[in-house]
Amino acid sequence: MNEHTQDAARSAWELRSRELFESSVEGLDMRVRSRLTQARHAALDAAAAARRRPWFFQMRVWTSAAGVTAALLLGTALWFGSPAGNHAMTAADQSSLEDLDMVASTDEGSGDAMEMLQNDLDFYDFADKAANSGPAA
Amino acid sequence: MPRFDTLPHAWMVWDVPAPARRGAVLDQTRELDKFLAEIERRAFRMAQIALRDPDDALDVVQDAMLKLARNYCSKPSAEWRPLFYRILENGIRDLQRRRTVRKKFMVWLPGSKEDPDNEAQDPLDSVADGGPDAPELLMQDQAMQKLEGSLRALPGRQREAFMLRNFEGLDVAETAKAMGCSEGSVKTHYSRAVHALREQLGEVW
Repeated sequence: MNEHTQDAARSAWELRSRELFESSVEGLDMRVRSRLTQARHAALDAAAAARRRPWFFQMRVWTSAAGVTAALLLGTALWFGSPAGNHAMTAADQSSLEDLDMVASTDEGSGDAMEMLQNDLDFYDFADKAANSGPAA
Repeated sequence: MPRFDTLPHAWMVWDVPAPARRGAVLDQTRELDKFLAEIERRAFRMAQIALRDPDDALDVVQDAMLKLARNYCSKPSAEWRPLFYRILENGIRDLQRRRTVRKKFMVWLPGSKEDPDNEAQDPLDSVADGGPDAPELLMQDQAMQKLEGSLRALPGRQREAFMLRNFEGLDVAETAKAMGCSEGSVKTHYSRAVHALREQLGEVW
């Protein structure tokens, strides 16, 4: 079989497959046709809605950029709002840390610190008992 | 200096709908309607051949129509066809990928076995074996079933190239645009597809 005959056979074969496909398209049932029509109308509505949108919403790049910017802002806010990122310490935080440091320190002054803590506990114990026993006679 | 309201096309600045613009929008809508009506059935059949399931095929076609209408209706209508088929093929590929992942995942679940119904849908089952009922297989619907079975057995890119070129009638450049590859690749995929199909189905089937 020469090249020309092969091409002709191939073309006939391709033509037959196309005809078969077209006839199968024509044979689609009404349910499918109806759903396709509905889908087309939905698409046309979507196109009309897309045209009504302001121009800046029609630009998909802007939408993406807005999303990225929002994510960055949120990330920044979370980072600086979190304890890990909070570098500015308030006076109250500083005071609490000093108290903790004094109590937990293991250097020479630690004995005094523990004694002060013990005195405080004794005082709170006394105050609690005094309050429960009522006024002194 | 000319006054603003005397400038030509001043309505465009203030977005006042001018009659000419309204007419253009209507024309575009009509054109989109005509285009979608023209391709919807063929697109559905192509999706059905690839996915086997008519409901999945309808979903994918509807999704492609919506995406085209939302994002590309302002493009020149000559570009719609390759764009639509690119969206459609992406949708088909996504669905096939999801199915593959689901299938892999289901294997690990207790009690999940291969669906016996799928065995019956093996594309090779519909290929002619040259048996005594071969003359009956020449009937049109059966011939189409065989073609569908053989198309499903092809690699995805070959199937895409064959359907877009042969069924949809896109030229090489449009097919390349729809498939997102070079024109040379389209020619190679198409040629291999035709060769494989003719080998499977024979010259007359």
